[in-house]
Amino acid sequence: MNVLLFGYGYMGKIRYRVLRQHPAVRAITVVDPAVDPATSGLGDALLPPGAAIPWDGVEAAFVCTPNYVTAALCAEALRRCGRVFCEKPPGRNWEEFCQIAEAAAATPGHTLVFGFNHRLHPSIQAAKALVGEGGLGEILYLKGTYGKSGGLNFRRNWRSQLALAGGGILLDQGIHMLDLFHLFLGPSLSVVEAVLNDGFWGCGVEDNAFLLLRSDTGTPAFLHSSATLWKHTFGVEIGCANGYVVASGLLSQTGSYGREQLVIGKRQFEDEAMALGNPREEIIYFDRDESWEKEVQEFLAAVAERRPARHGTLEEAQRVMQVVRDTYAVAERRAYKRGAS
Amino acid sequence: MRAIESGVSIPLSSVKPLDGQVRYRAFCVQAMRQALARGPTVRRDRSPVSGAALEPFGSVEGLEYRRCPDTDSLFLAELPEAATWARLLREVAQQRFAPAGDDSQLTQLRADHVYAPKLEWIQDTLRMHGLQRPSLLEAATPPSAMSRLLEDSGRFSAVTVVDEMALAHGAPAGPGAGPAEVVMLLESLDRVDDPRGLLEGVARRLPEGGLVFATALVSSGFDMAVLGLDNLYLCPPDRTNCFSLSGLARLLIEAGFGLIEVSTPGVLDVEVVQAHLHRDPTIRLSLFERQLIGSTDAAREQLQAFLQRGGLSSFARVVAKKLAAAGDAGTHSKRNQEGKVTR
Repeated sequence: MNVLLFGYGYMGKIRYRVLRQHPAVRAITVVDPAVDPATSGLGDALLPPGAAIPWDGVEAAFVCTPNYVTAALCAEALRRCGRVFCEKPPGRNWEEFCQIAEAAAATPGHTLVFGFNHRLHPSIQAAKALVGEGGLGEILYLKGTYGKSGGLNFRRNWRSQLALAGGGILLDQGIHMLDLFHLFLGPSLSVVEAVLNDGFWGCGVEDNAFLLLRSDTGTPAFLHSSATLWKHTFGVEIGCANGYVVASGLLSQTGSYGREQLVIGKRQFEDEAMALGNPREEIIYFDRDESWEKEVQEFLAAVAERRPARHGTLEEAQRVMQVVRDTYAVAERRAYKRGAS
Repeated sequence: MRAIESGVSIPLSSVKPLDGQVRYRAFCVQAMRQALARGPTVRRDRSPVSGAALEPFGSVEGLEYRRCPDTDSLFLAELPEAATWARLLREVAQQRFAPAGDDSQLTQLRADHVYAPKLEWIQDTLRMHGLQRPSLLEAATPPSAMSRLLEDSGRFSAVTVVDEMALAHGAPAGPGAGPAEVVMLLESLDRVDDPRGLLEGVARRLPEGGLVFATALVSSGFDMAVLGLDNLYLCPPDRTNCFSLSGLARLLIEAGFGLIEVSTPGVLDVEVVQAHLHRDPTIRLSLFERQLIGSTDAAREQLQAFLQRGGLSSFARVVAKKLAAAGDAGTHSKRNQEGKVTR
């Protein structure tokens, strides 16, 4: 398979590494005018500056570019080769997402996958297996916290600029948690309330987002997405009828989110007075994250088998973008009310 | 691969009180001596894990243990031949599960705190691997305390108990000789005279991808390492093989299994040492060990949690998956490990 990879930043490098290890991939051409051919280490794999994009013979394209390029490039790639893997977020806003969706609709037999790898992390997959019929019973509530500290160059980074990114930490990082909420609670999550703030970085995009959501069956979910968590944090707590699971930490390249683990607690029977309020817990520690490999593997398998992918679908992307859209709308209304009072 | 920490707290007196262990141990040692006296016997000079020459280590009530230099696992040096060994295991098992008399409460506590969590562990792991109602084979020397629990759980399409010694020695097909998707070895590897043979027998029963759940009391764990041969829970035949955690993992890998979980969620190490010290204040412990054991309840709890997290408790749990070609004739070669043992 001949693959075009657009963007050789943080995500592009990860995808390149995974693609190189995939047996079905024959050749990868990296397109990134910002990369210096002399220092990239890519050799012939890097398209020379000024060269035309070699669409002919391309069987799959990976879009790993900054947000302001994503939608147009994803739509173009759909038209050119019909098989596209696109990093999140799927566009800077709802309108750009719709451009992608329209391009997909105009490309019969397309394969389109968005990069929401968190649902493939081992703690999340284990949690998914245990809730509901997995023994823990019906989900009663869900709470998620996902945040980072920004860093020295945070204000200068394109991710912090409204025009380039389309939003703040919610669109950049919180979107992963929204995808997880949908994974556990189903397709219909509505925004009950949202509070966004830009209290520290002052970039004109939210550095903290608090969202209260509700599923179509009434299950509440709460998200705190933050760019001011000085201690990098990832955690999702799922309360169920028969117990709970808490996934926290992430197996990441830096390890800054802590050791990935899943706490499993079982509700004690009411006659076990000694254990009431302090149930037996087990903590599973994970030491291998195969989410990147699984994600790419599924995309390439879907391409080869000419079938829709099983995750990262357009429908899943649409759900999270609807919540993002509605959240920004709620926040704008709240801000207007505050200003008027 | 996964490692596990357990938040449960169980008093030693609720599950295996030291006084009861002393009585049980006396029975085991006497039965062991009688079995050896019947002769003939087999002497083990090579490590069942690595094949290295075993080194002298010491003895328990005059029964010699030798040490594997590669893994620090301990092995009883002299055993009766297999048929006598199987009879001995049955005799000891009857004693272990004899009606508890005044200790009926203890029986219930063991069911609640020892067997039920094991069932939960197996059930949760099966769910995480998407296995719906698999067939399960329990290798044990009857009677088994788990069989009824496993059957009643409704999580298995079939539960079959096979004699662990028969499985280790490649017994011909008989009742329950069919394949199974899951095999359970609760301290079986500690008891049988040929642990590698047991894993080969298990591999023959499992399809590729089939799971093994194994528990063991490991020599690398805190109470075993601190008390050494003075540990009253170390005696044959139950602890004929006392693997280190790495030795246990290596045995499985070399038998053609990939490791999914290697954990030490034990909750009793510190209390076991404390109970030994209480029973015999002159026991050989360093000053620092005495300080540890004599510290506050909270500090002891934290120490136990640390031992769990660090793979340093003596109660070990392993989940392994049969890889392609495991159990084939002559497979003692090294295979790829699913994940490395990490702490």
